[in-house]
Amino acid sequence: MANLLWLQGGACSGNTMSFLNAEEPSACDLVTDFGINVLWHPSLGLELGENLRRMLDAIVSGEIAMDIFVFEGTVVNAPNGTGEWNRFCGRPMKDWVADLAKVATFTVAVGDCATWGGIPATAPNPSESEGLQFLKREHGGFLGKDYTSKAGLPVINIPGCPAHPDWITQIVVAVATGRGGDLTLDEFQRPKTFFTSFTQTGCTRNMHFAYKVSATEFGQRKGCLFYDLGCRGPMTHSPCNRILWNRVSSKTRAGMPCLGCTEPEFPFFDLEPGTVFKTQTVMGAPKDMPTGVDKAGYIKLTAAAKAASPAWAEEDLFVV
Amino acid sequence: MASDPEDILKTIAAMLEAGLETEVEPFPETDKEFADILIKLRQLDPNDLKGKLVIGGFVDHPYGPEQQRCMECMYYLVHRKWCDLPELAVPVEPEWWCRLWRI
Repeated sequence: MANLLWLQGGACSGNTMSFLNAEEPSACDLVTDFGINVLWHPSLGLELGENLRRMLDAIVSGEIAMDIFVFEGTVVNAPNGTGEWNRFCGRPMKDWVADLAKVATFTVAVGDCATWGGIPATAPNPSESEGLQFLKREHGGFLGKDYTSKAGLPVINIPGCPAHPDWITQIVVAVATGRGGDLTLDEFQRPKTFFTSFTQTGCTRNMHFAYKVSATEFGQRKGCLFYDLGCRGPMTHSPCNRILWNRVSSKTRAGMPCLGCTEPEFPFFDLEPGTVFKTQTVMGAPKDMPTGVDKAGYIKLTAAAKAASPAWAEEDLFVV
Repeated sequence: MASDPEDILKTIAAMLEAGLETEVEPFPETDKEFADILIKLRQLDPNDLKGKLVIGGFVDHPYGPEQQRCMECMYYLVHRKWCDLPELAVPVEPEWWCRLWRI
């Protein structure tokens, strides 16, 4: 039996909605098949008011063991570092997070807000939001860069806006079944099993990427979304085209650009007008090249690919 | 405006060869400048071929020190010899260029 507590800070509940849609394994499977005891969750917990307060106090004191502490949403520090804008069970949520993180065997940040601050931490960040152990790319965050849970691991970051349901439940199961020590994390503390490949890996539009045929409008059945519509698939670490959403599709398969929501900078360019769904360019060339590609190589590749492109690459294909 | 792409292509070629003055400069260095040109194009009658060529800054040869041309532009469809930028949507030759060139 592994006790799990899930709390929300500055959040939209998107990751909770995602979690409840999990299929492999489902949220119910966590309880029935993997021995996870959900102590409390904002959408599932039974305790209210003083009863919840007593439970949290018991967890902090060690009376109730907490094996997995899942946090969704930002840690809100406003106003002036007090955290009073986000109170929970009689005190600022940030104080609960500080106390609970000390007694957690594993601490898991779910979604962009909890991992790096996400949309709430976008400039000018009026809620003084930060992630558990990062603020955007800056290591530290609310718990500090030296934080480790009782298991000796830093915060396990499962980013995304929202995170894919199965990324959440599969990591929770790994931790709950004693395989937490097998997790290898990348430089942003994301499990490598999910965040080593790119969103582009498995994208059905890769042939259009290869032949430099661009989609010019949302939902088109031909063309790559990287060249004009701001798709960040070639630069974003996620398995969105390997572990499909609702088991059937992904944004790029449906003709919508990847927004790069598993990367610390999301939302990119601080949501300046004209930066969303539009590839940013300098003198006609993309400002952000696919990871590992330089501009000279990109231009040479474009010339060769265009010259070699087959006629079918310009026609509508069923790429969903 | 003629509806057959071949005929339109010939019409455009003739206009450019005859020395049609187009707005080659300034090149849109930023996305804001690029978007401003698109806004101007959207205000045109879709059949206003001359307007598209002028605002788009078309020339019938490669352009600039890097000899940029439609052939490498992301909007160019090689087999159809077609500019797929919705605001332009005109047939073009691979050796041409316009200031909405992107790679």
